[in-house]
Amino acid sequence: MLNAISRPAKIRIARALVIIALLIGALLPGFPVLWMLSSSFKSNMDIFAYPPALITDSFSFGAYAAVVTSPEKLRFFLNSYLVSMFVTILTLLVGILGGYSFSRYEFPLKRPLNMVIIGVQAVPPITLLIPYFSLIVFLKLHNTYAALVLTYMVFTLSYAIIMMTGYFNTLPRQLDEAVMIDGGSSFVALWRVLVPISLPGIVSVGVYTFMLAWNEFLFALTLTKTTDMRTVPVGIQLLMGQHSYEWNEMMAMSVLGCLPVLLLFLFFQRYFIAGMTAGSVKG
Amino acid sequence: MNKKLLSLLAAVVMLSAIVAGCAPVAGPAAPAEEAGEAAGETITLEFTQWWEPELPEGSFRALMDEFEAQNPGIKVELISGPYSTTREQVVAGAAAGTMSDVVGLDGAWVSDFVKQGSLASLTDLMSQAGYDDSQLAAQIQLNGATYMIPVVNFVYPVFVNLDLLAAAGVENPPATRSEFAAAAQQLTESGENVYGWVLPLSLEQPNGIQNDVMSWAWASGGSMMKDGLPDVTNDQVRSASEFIKGLWDAGVIAPGSFSMREQDKVEEFTNGRVGMMISSLAHINMLRERNPDLNFAITALPAEDGYDGKRGLPYASWGIGVSANSPHQAEAWKLVEYLMSAEVNSKLSSIANAFPGNVNSTPDFVQTDELFAAAFDVFQTGYLANEFVGLPVAENLMREFAEQFQLYLDGSQSLDDTLNAAQEAWMAHFE
Amino acid sequence: MSVDGRFAANPKTNNLYRIWKRVIPYGYLSPTILLLAVLSFLPIGMVVYYSVMDNVIMNQNPVFVGAANYVKILTDGVFQTALGNTLYFTLMSVVVHLILGLTFAMLLNSKLVSPFTRSVFRVVYILPWVFTASIIAILWRLMLNPNGVINYLLEWSGLVSQKIEWLSSRQLALHAVTFINIWSGYPFYMVSLLAGLQGIPDEIYEAGTIDGANGPQLFRYVTLPQLRPIIISLAMLDFIWTMQQFTLIWMTTGGGPGRVTEMLSTFTYKLAFSTYEFSLASTSAMVILVLSMFVALFYVRRQRASDA
Repeated sequence: MLNAISRPAKIRIARALVIIALLIGALLPGFPVLWMLSSSFKSNMDIFAYPPALITDSFSFGAYAAVVTSPEKLRFFLNSYLVSMFVTILTLLVGILGGYSFSRYEFPLKRPLNMVIIGVQAVPPITLLIPYFSLIVFLKLHNTYAALVLTYMVFTLSYAIIMMTGYFNTLPRQLDEAVMIDGGSSFVALWRVLVPISLPGIVSVGVYTFMLAWNEFLFALTLTKTTDMRTVPVGIQLLMGQHSYEWNEMMAMSVLGCLPVLLLFLFFQRYFIAGMTAGSVKG
Repeated sequence: MNKKLLSLLAAVVMLSAIVAGCAPVAGPAAPAEEAGEAAGETITLEFTQWWEPELPEGSFRALMDEFEAQNPGIKVELISGPYSTTREQVVAGAAAGTMSDVVGLDGAWVSDFVKQGSLASLTDLMSQAGYDDSQLAAQIQLNGATYMIPVVNFVYPVFVNLDLLAAAGVENPPATRSEFAAAAQQLTESGENVYGWVLPLSLEQPNGIQNDVMSWAWASGGSMMKDGLPDVTNDQVRSASEFIKGLWDAGVIAPGSFSMREQDKVEEFTNGRVGMMISSLAHINMLRERNPDLNFAITALPAEDGYDGKRGLPYASWGIGVSANSPHQAEAWKLVEYLMSAEVNSKLSSIANAFPGNVNSTPDFVQTDELFAAAFDVFQTGYLANEFVGLPVAENLMREFAEQFQLYLDGSQSLDDTLNAAQEAWMAHFE
Repeated sequence: MSVDGRFAANPKTNNLYRIWKRVIPYGYLSPTILLLAVLSFLPIGMVVYYSVMDNVIMNQNPVFVGAANYVKILTDGVFQTALGNTLYFTLMSVVVHLILGLTFAMLLNSKLVSPFTRSVFRVVYILPWVFTASIIAILWRLMLNPNGVINYLLEWSGLVSQKIEWLSSRQLALHAVTFINIWSGYPFYMVSLLAGLQGIPDEIYEAGTIDGANGPQLFRYVTLPQLRPIIISLAMLDFIWTMQQFTLIWMTTGGGPGRVTEMLSTFTYKLAFSTYEFSLASTSAMVILVLSMFVALFYVRRQRASDA
């Protein structure tokens, strides 16, 4: 009460400090990406000019035009979106079930299974390449979306399960016990109570899964064959020639690729609203 | 039953539905191919290469269309990937039994693919087809059989920036090592942030050892081999190394060498920050396009003072080979033969700005473009020298040499130790 | 209606209920197990098999050699250098990732700032995440080039008098690639922790404030313990992933200059696709797997503890 007068001032100072910190911190991700954006508008020569400039005389949308007028490249984008979306949805469904099991149950094989799930992603992919590729060919999945979707699920599922286990572990068990006392099954407890509360966690796992599938290169290249099945990272690598790179087109393609992803994130980040879960825990 | 089990079942079913459901949607190419084979009339040749993305859009496909028109019953499916990963893709494809019928090859890979058993002997295919191989400029042979034919060749002469040379007071492009060193010195002193030479020694893409280091020995008639075995401690490699170390210590080499690649090197030259570079002819058009004001010329790689023999000229090829497991080897050979024919080879050389692999081909640009004409002179007065072609694990040899050479240049290792270590590392692959 | 509830309510069917209860957790995991069994066990099994043969793929008739490859790898000087570099690279990355990720998550969660401002900043802060690794490598190569923008800014501001060869210097290259990895990886922590922060009920903070706790105390006694399960999961995953980080290193330094940025991943790659020693590469992969499993073991133990 004594501080009543200075309290708004204090908050204002604190707010200013937070904003200043946010602005300074934003340089770390912001500047390199700004540089990428600037490079995408430059001529290939000016990208290496010294002294470097943010905007040069060669400013043009040429690199973007080259990307969006190529049906081949647009197909890369379509493929990437389709694959990433399928991977994200399936990984979330399967991962939530798995995470729930690890978080809420004790069972004899729990530790070994947990180790196995972690272990499958601890083998460097480059050594798995040939046996895995042979398996995909054997399953007649070579050059299909299914090959990519299932492969990325193998990569992302471990992560999704581990993270979902972590999020569920932060939620009190009384929540689902309350459901069961009311006569609900564990499945109802999961989907009606835990999943809605864990939406922030689910969104963050989903976003990451999407990014991982979106950015993967090695398997995207190996498991597909024809140009109409390639994804964006392969398309970017195709601009890295034997003797020279198309620097500005590579940058333009990355910028174009990231825009929809950022919009998606902008939409979903509203689930990160502080205190959203507090009410339900109380109730 | 109950909800849990049902929903679990549903999840499993969904998963398998995805597996099953995606397959037909996914690969329009696969069913078409199988249908074709079932009909028994049209054969589809798969051709894996990195050339299509390097060439003007649609131009390589046009050549294939012409081939298809000339050979009814054979279709060509181009499978294009980035150059840097083609090698891995071929190894993996061969191991999984999905290697294409025809593959683009780099001379540095041939030995390893032959060892893996993935390439067919072209000598056999040529004799089956009754082909006269005298028109081929080169064949890459191992154990007495041909496995790769260079389709087009990119030679690596010295590019000089004429304006920088003039500003530095250098009148003629250097012809000897001492002239080169002097010119590099003058260039470096002539302006801020201008250097005489640029030396890419990246360990990721170690072909700088081939193009920018060993080439100095080859240009003076030297060799890094003796009786088919490594011999990097000989005088010629030694003097080339000492020469480069001299340039390094004089500070006339542009900074950043140890992580620089060929693709970075050329940008330094484009921006007029280096006066001289050893580079691929493939760069001529790129330089013109990226910096139309750049005034540059081409000259032979300088030789040791007093050397008047023929000069070895480093080169890289787009080579071609046929899969050992291809069921259509005869048709595959037809495609190779087509690409090597005088007329088509001229065309391909012209669009790739490379020198032809057929001795009777003459690309247009040799007549119409004076820079290429100059390069053609260099090419004809010298001989093609790339001792890495056909060696086992060739790229790794370059990398091992680069690792040692970096230590030598930055002063943490003597020349003797460097060359001995490289020799030892190389010998391990020749047992 | 529901099975659990009905069984629980009826003591007579208790035995059946117990059996059912034992099956449930496996049921929830069955899609995962199915997928991994089909697509993961076989290839990994092949890698294990490769690691005990003399050589494969390049060799039509491989011969069993037992632990010989393991002896060869573990006594290889380059492997030991790579192991040391990898540990530095990984531990630095994990620690700084956590610090940065947590700091940024707290800032981006601050209720002092309007939701709109927060969402704009959130988008900016996740930027490093949305690019494929090869483009991140290319971008940083451009910026760290001796003639790149970073050197220009440093010279312009008078901080350095000479251009620095960040990626070509034997003193700096390892730190430079570590920095690039930190840059590209912190959003993973940030977003996950941001999500984790939503799970902490405001009441706990309010109660703490009433008890007279200040900001740092609230952080230490409320925020950190609440986030612990997530932090542990994140750190373990990040450790395993960073150990395998390949593209960023390969495309910036290729393991050089000399061997200063040689990592287990680049070492393994070169064995596989530069010298075609697929068996030795598999052996090296197995060593990476075993190292990762140590960390996993720690995680699984904690997992148990946090349940209790």
